[in-house]
Amino acid sequence: MIVTRKALARRTILKGIGAAIGLPFLDAMTPAFADSQLSGGAPVRLAWFYAPNGIDMRHWTPSEEGPLGQLPGILAPLEPVKKEILVLSNLTANWGRPLLVGAGDHGRALAAYMTGVQVYRTAGADLKLGVSADQIAANALGHLTKLPSLEVGLEETRQAGNCDNGYSCAYAYNVSWKTETQPLPPISDPRNLFERLFGTDIVEAPAAHARRLAMRRSILDQVMGDTQKLQSKLGRTDRRKLDEYLTSVREIEQQVERAEKDGATIDPGMEKPFGVPPEFPDYFRLMTDMMLVAFKADITRFSTIMIGREGSTRAYPEIGVTDGHHPLTHHMGNMQMLDKVRQINALHLALFAEFLRKMKNTKEGDSNLLDQSLIVYGSGLSDGNVHTHDQLPTILAGRGGDFVRPGRHIVYQRETPVANLFATMIERVGVRPEHVGDATGRLAGLSVS
Amino acid sequence: MPQNPFGGKQPIGVIYNTSMNRPDAALALAGLYGFEGKRESRMGSICVVGAGLNAAIFCDVVGRFYMVGPLRNANSVLPVGLPAVDPPPPDSPMVLPAVERKTEKGEPQYTRSIRKLTDTAVPEAVLRNGVIFNAEAVVILGAPATYLAKSLDLLGVKDIYKERVKRLVIVDSGARQDAAAIRKILAEWPTPVFYCGKEVGDALRFPAARIDKDFAWAEAHPVVDAYRAYQPMPYDAPTHDLAAAHFAVHPDSGFFRLSDPGSIAVGDDGAMKFTSGGGAKVRSLMVESAQQDKIIEAFVELASAKPVQPQRFRKPAL
Repeated sequence: MIVTRKALARRTILKGIGAAIGLPFLDAMTPAFADSQLSGGAPVRLAWFYAPNGIDMRHWTPSEEGPLGQLPGILAPLEPVKKEILVLSNLTANWGRPLLVGAGDHGRALAAYMTGVQVYRTAGADLKLGVSADQIAANALGHLTKLPSLEVGLEETRQAGNCDNGYSCAYAYNVSWKTETQPLPPISDPRNLFERLFGTDIVEAPAAHARRLAMRRSILDQVMGDTQKLQSKLGRTDRRKLDEYLTSVREIEQQVERAEKDGATIDPGMEKPFGVPPEFPDYFRLMTDMMLVAFKADITRFSTIMIGREGSTRAYPEIGVTDGHHPLTHHMGNMQMLDKVRQINALHLALFAEFLRKMKNTKEGDSNLLDQSLIVYGSGLSDGNVHTHDQLPTILAGRGGDFVRPGRHIVYQRETPVANLFATMIERVGVRPEHVGDATGRLAGLSVS
Repeated sequence: MPQNPFGGKQPIGVIYNTSMNRPDAALALAGLYGFEGKRESRMGSICVVGAGLNAAIFCDVVGRFYMVGPLRNANSVLPVGLPAVDPPPPDSPMVLPAVERKTEKGEPQYTRSIRKLTDTAVPEAVLRNGVIFNAEAVVILGAPATYLAKSLDLLGVKDIYKERVKRLVIVDSGARQDAAAIRKILAEWPTPVFYCGKEVGDALRFPAARIDKDFAWAEAHPVVDAYRAYQPMPYDAPTHDLAAAHFAVHPDSGFFRLSDPGSIAVGDDGAMKFTSGGGAKVRSLMVESAQQDKIIEAFVELASAKPVQPQRFRKPAL
């Protein structure tokens, strides 16, 4: 048999003046014989959701190992997607602990979580940490996509100053570190994120940006010519996929515009960047929708999202919690405060569950985006009241391309580094560094076999 | 003694890698808690290699036995390292009586926090953590070196060991070592290494009569249970691990002479043999017969010490 069909390049983009849009995975991109991650098959994506201030673990940990039965209170929002997740117990982020240094657990918790190294205590510019797991993967494979990685945050960022007992704000605000000294600040402004994903470069060329704003044109209008050319080359299924995809891009664009309009007139009750939806759930959905599109269009394969900075004092009036999150976690056993902490934890997980459902409903070839991903939901603290860094709350969602058998609760030995999980994830995408933080090996028991 | 962050003196941390399958290991554990009661050292970590879950439970039981007063928080309970291998190595019958002993009401005689494998901890992580939790530490290797050797390959660990571990004491009780692992230790360990040969423990035997007499303050004592269970009483057990533990914490006690630097040859069967000279770095412990009674008396006093409520660090008075 002779195969003559040429595949559409995986990184095909629609270009216009000052704008470029990546594409979802189309059938036309699949060569007749190809399944490798590097040669055009559907790639595995990795994502990390970082939840600040720990979790009320008494309402998190399933009582039994093995298949997930009825989920405990905080995990209950994940009930509809429990066949898509693993709950992993007993993982540790050792370098978050006080060791011989003393206070500063929040700064260390975040900084050590994905780097797995000791956090050099400084509030100055002489930062020293390690390369985070997402960046180990991005440094190796980032050249395959438009953006090597994507860092998202749902809270404003600070990069300098003393944020936690002598630990720089850079430690408490950044989960991703490209090098030992270079944090990657998360994008918390929806428009900045949108433009990073869909603009010509990190942002649009200033002249094009100004022209579009003046004309209030959609970014899609600018790539219309390229879109029409591409559509003529596609089959019916791909044309439908492309149409759905461009529609979702337009919807997000409209969401951003709406948020900017609303943000100008509604006082959210806290400091936020311009254009942030005033309701936290809408903010979460908007940012994760963009993350999803970035995965779908293969703009990037590695992403982190900080639901809040470590030590976040965000209030959640949407669910009747008007106290700050961090103060509430120091509940000293006060049941009313504990109840509010649980409400916050459950809200985060309900939104995470929504994201997982959207990923599951996003088709990709014969599979779907969730099945092609490995997504961690976790924190560098378990008990936020006394700052414990072991027995961390950890969920792994997705199958990583038929690698994981989800729907179970796995209990590991104590002191198993959470870095073992991250090392296993990045090995799944073909990256095998000598060290992944303080990992002692790979995490057993995840896979189908 | 190093300073702790609050200004007080911090005792040296002890990392005890044991097989917990002989009475000298149980006595060493008691002795290390005896040192802790006197604030001369503190338990940094315990790792069981070459035995099963009951040995880890026994270590946990002994640790809890010496823990007086309420738990300050969950971090006060020391995790015990244990390899997750299938099938696990057999446990010594020595540990079972303490693990299974019940009160008149049918409840466990000794409290514990370990009941299943996942209550134990990853061995190489525990060994490493024991060092990084302490400004200064000593390591006692009374078990196959498999996991101590593995810990050397973890990120940054050799540097941490070099900075903080004052000495490694290798115990030779006649049990076979993991040949490849102990060779790696001997080749790569970054700080002074001492060898406590079989003849040392054999020369310093724990008097059986003192088990009855000096531990009588406790109605039930897990180490006594283990000693009695190991073989029919009375017998005077060698003190291999206890001798190594004493030297590790107090190398300047005068109890032991040190050989000239030498090397340890490791046979393919794991048998070790020390030879002085040759420019190598290991020094071997030696006992003079004139010192034996004095040393044994010190061992008895140490191992039979009562639990002491720990003091919190305090800022020095101005």
